[in-house]
Amino acid sequence: MNADLQGWGVWLALSAACIGTYICRAAGVLLSDHIHQDSEVFRWLSAVTYAMVAALTVRMILMPLGLLSTVPMLLRVVICALSVAVMASSPQRRMVPALLTGTLLMLAYGVLRTSP
Amino acid sequence: MSRFANRREAFWRGIRDALGAPVLVLFAGMVGFGAMSRSHGFDVWMTGLTSLLMFALPGQVVMLEMFISGASLLAIGFAVTLTSTRFVTMVVTLFPQFHQRDRNPLQYLWVHMLAMTAWAVSMREFPSIDPKHRMNYFIGLALPCWLISPMGTVLGYFVAGWVPTAVTLGLVFINPLFFLLTFTDVKPWANRLAIGLGCLMGPAFYVLDADSSLLLTGLVAGTLAYWIDRRWLRPRSIEVSS
Repeated sequence: MNADLQGWGVWLALSAACIGTYICRAAGVLLSDHIHQDSEVFRWLSAVTYAMVAALTVRMILMPLGLLSTVPMLLRVVICALSVAVMASSPQRRMVPALLTGTLLMLAYGVLRTSP
Repeated sequence: MSRFANRREAFWRGIRDALGAPVLVLFAGMVGFGAMSRSHGFDVWMTGLTSLLMFALPGQVVMLEMFISGASLLAIGFAVTLTSTRFVTMVVTLFPQFHQRDRNPLQYLWVHMLAMTAWAVSMREFPSIDPKHRMNYFIGLALPCWLISPMGTVLGYFVAGWVPTAVTLGLVFINPLFFLLTFTDVKPWANRLAIGLGCLMGPAFYVLDADSSLLLTGLVAGTLAYWIDRRWLRPRSIEVSS
């Protein structure tokens, strides 16, 4: 497998992925010329986008790839709930404290797991 | 009563807003990606360029995973493009909020710096910003996010292996956590509903077909949320008063 990884295949895959991604961004600019921000289409597309972003987030938390998948699902959900609680505990935004809560809890779990 | 005196002030405010949670989130996510790429045996140039030129973490992860599993080039290109379809609607919902003067071909340059992070922050801040200042605020916000990404990736690539797993675990977790937290700031009811329905339907569609699940969830959950909002939640100014 590793012989192929350094070859031209990887660069072709990268090019294809970059072009595909940029086409999506450019298509957005092209389409956005015809859409006004107080139209019904705009509201509908906002809802569609938020639903997509939400689906992506839930996927990253509930069905992660790689390292995060080694953490029990229940623990991931509990840490998320605690972080959201920190965020919601004040009407002002508490993004950084909330992010730190989640990250440090996850780190603490990692430390506890490795120590016998 | 404009929030900024001029465009330059808006730009610097964007930079300041970026240098907090947004840059932290992208940096952490990209460090995680760099480490993951190293562990799979990819070279550092390819890994760093992916973050610079593609700049879409979910797509980048999908590309790596599919390449390792030996998928064909066509399949990789298709799957990555499908995960990137969210950019179409993200741009369509963000860019019309710019001032008419800024709706020029340069947008094709700025759009490359758009990621979920800058989008979420801009959607939250734009209503309180004068249209003529929005573009500069956006550039100030998105530019550091984009530039930090290849740096985080390359750093992650080189530190992978000697950083304790616990630290990597914390870094990898920042990304989804940030998006989850931004949801608590979303105001319109249609969008709140869309998030709720998206969270519920996302996993179901993922089980059905992983590649197209984001697009399908977006269309079904988003349309349903929009319809419910329009039908029942939105105040009806004309019908109610008559």
